Amino acid sequence: MSNDSSSTSGVLGLDHETEERLHRIVLGISGLIAAFVGIFPIYWMAQNSLVTRQAVLDGPVLIPSPEEVTLSNFAIIFNNDVVMYFFNTTVVTIGTIVSVCILSLIAGYGLARFEWSQKENFARFLLFGYMFSPIVLGLPLYLIWQSLGLLNTRVGLIISLTAISMPFSVWLMWKYIQTIPRSMEESAWVAGASRWRAFRDVVVPQTKPSIIAAALFAFAIAWNDFTFAQILLPKNEATTFAPGMMRLVNQGYNIGWNEIMVVSLLMTVPPLLFAYFLQDYLLKGFEIRSL
Amino acid sequence: MSGDTFKKEQYKKSRSLWRSTRLQSDAVKSFISVLPVIILYLIISIIPAVFAVYASLHFIPLMSPTWTFVGIENYISVFELDQFWGSLWRGLIFMVGSTIIQVSVGLWLAFTLNDISIGQKYLTSIVFTAYLIPTVVVSLVALFLFDQSFGLFHMIGSEWFNLWDSTNYILGSNTWAMPLVILIGSWKFSIFVTIFALAQLRSIPSRFYEAARICGANRWQMFRDITFPRLKGIILTVILLRGVFMFNKFDLIWMLTEGGPGYATTTLPLLAYQETFQGGSYGLGNALAVMMFLILALSAILYFKAASPSQEAEV
Repeated sequence: MSNDSSSTSGVLGLDHETEERLHRIVLGISGLIAAFVGIFPIYWMAQNSLVTRQAVLDGPVLIPSPEEVTLSNFAIIFNNDVVMYFFNTTVVTIGTIVSVCILSLIAGYGLARFEWSQKENFARFLLFGYMFSPIVLGLPLYLIWQSLGLLNTRVGLIISLTAISMPFSVWLMWKYIQTIPRSMEESAWVAGASRWRAFRDVVVPQTKPSIIAAALFAFAIAWNDFTFAQILLPKNEATTFAPGMMRLVNQGYNIGWNEIMVVSLLMTVPPLLFAYFLQDYLLKGFEIRSL
Repeated sequence: MSGDTFKKEQYKKSRSLWRSTRLQSDAVKSFISVLPVIILYLIISIIPAVFAVYASLHFIPLMSPTWTFVGIENYISVFELDQFWGSLWRGLIFMVGSTIIQVSVGLWLAFTLNDISIGQKYLTSIVFTAYLIPTVVVSLVALFLFDQSFGLFHMIGSEWFNLWDSTNYILGSNTWAMPLVILIGSWKFSIFVTIFALAQLRSIPSRFYEAARICGANRWQMFRDITFPRLKGIILTVILLRGVFMFNKFDLIWMLTEGGPGYATTTLPLLAYQETFQGGSYGLGNALAVMMFLILALSAILYFKAASPSQEAEV
C-alpha cells in the first residue's frame, strides 16, 4: 500500500476528479469501440441483404443510395435447399435443447440430492469430455452411426449434440439444485408426495433460471454446429444450415453475396433476440465457481 | 406433558425409519437419475475414443469394410507425414495467438461492460450476440468482407493502407491467412471469456468497493486488492478452456480457408479430416486424432500442475 499523505490521489497522481473524468472517457471510448466492432458485421449483413446485386458488383459503399435498395434478395428464403437447411437446423436445435434440459435436470438432481462416493469425480470425468475434439469424436462416430443406421438422420445429430452439451449443463444443474433448500422437498414428502412428485412439483419450478441457462448453451452449441453435421450428415437432404450453406457457396451455385447475407441475417436473428432478453441467464450459467 | 414428549419420540422414530427406507431406494434412484447421462457419455465420448484407438491400429480404406490389422504402422506413418510437424506447429501458433487475443480482448470487454452505465443492456446484448452467432455466419461475412472484388475490408486494406495488392485474395495468401483466421475467430470467441469474467465481476458485492472507497483506495488499489484476487481463478480456467477449444478448432478454419493456401492454415484437426475423407485413409485419420488427444491431455496435465486453476477457482 502506498500510503502517501494525500490518500485520495489517483492512479496517475492526478486529483480525484480528473481521474474519474479520465476513467469515464476511457470507458466511453471502450464502449464505442466495442459497439462498433460488434455491430458492424451485422450492419454489413443487413445492408447487403437489402441492396441489388448490381450494387454489390459496383463495389462496397458504406451507405447505399435509396434507389439500390430492394427486397428481392429475400426470395432466397423460399429456395428449396435453404428451406430444408433451416428446417433441419431448427428441428435439431429444438430437439437438442429439450433433451439436454430434461436429462441434465434429472442427473443434476441425482448429483445434488443423493449421496454416493466418487460423485465429484464423476462430474469431473464428465467435464473431461471437453478434451475431445469434435474431430476426434466425429471420425469414429461416422462409422458407428453408419452401422447403427443413424447416419444422415436428425436423431443421430441430436444425440451427438446433446451428449457434447451435457457435461456443462449437468454441472450447472447440480450446482443450482444445491442452492434450493432441502426442507422444501422434505415437507412435500411429509405431505405424502413421492420423490418423483416432489422433484416435479417442488424442485423443477424453482430451477427455471438454470433451465434457461442450460437451454441457451444447448442452443449455442446446436445452432452453431458445423463439424458434427458435416461428418454425420453427408447427404444434402439431411444436412443442416452450416454445412449446407458452405456447399451452396463452394459449388458457386447461382447464389450471390446478397442472398448469402440474407440467409446469414436470418441465422443471426435468434442469437440477437436471446442476447437481449436472456443475457442475465447467460451470465448466471457461467457463475459456477468451482471446476 | 409426558404425552407430548411421547408423541415427539414417536414422531422422531417414525421419521428415522422412514428415512432409512428412503435411503435404501436412494442408491437405486441416484443411479437411475444419472444413467441416461452415463449412457450418452459412453456412446458419444468413451466408445468413440476407444474405437478411435482400435481403428488407428488398422488399415482401413474409407470405402471398403475390410479392416487389416497393421499394429502401430499408422502411428509411424503419422510421424512420416510431411505435414504432421508443420500442422502441429501451426496449431500451436493458432492456439497461442488466439488464446492471448481472446483472453485480453475478453477481459477488456468484461471490464467495460461491468463499469459502463449508459446503454449497458444494449451493449451487453451486442457483445453477447457475437458469441451466439454461428461460426458459419461469421465465416461467410468474413469471406465477403475479404472478397477480392467486392469486399470492403479487402478494399480498405489495399486502397487506404496499401497492405496488399488489390488483385490479391488475402485469405489465400501465405502471409495473411493465419493472422486473419486468428482475428476472425477472436471476434466471436473473445466473448466466451467476457461472459465468464463478467459473471464473476457481477458476483463481487459492491459493499467491498464502497468500504475501500471510504478508506481512500484508488481504482488501481481496488482492482489489485478486490477485483483481481477474485478474477484470478477464472482467468486461469478460461486460458485452459480457450487453449483446448482453439487447439481442437476445426469448423472456423475449414470454412475460411480449408487449410490453405497450400498448408498455411492446416492444423492437426484439419489434417486428420483431410487424411480421412480426402486421403481416404480412415485408420491414419484416427491415429492422428489419437495423437491430438494425447498431446492435448499431456499439455492440460502440465498446465494443471503449473497453474492449478481448479484450486484457484474454488475461492
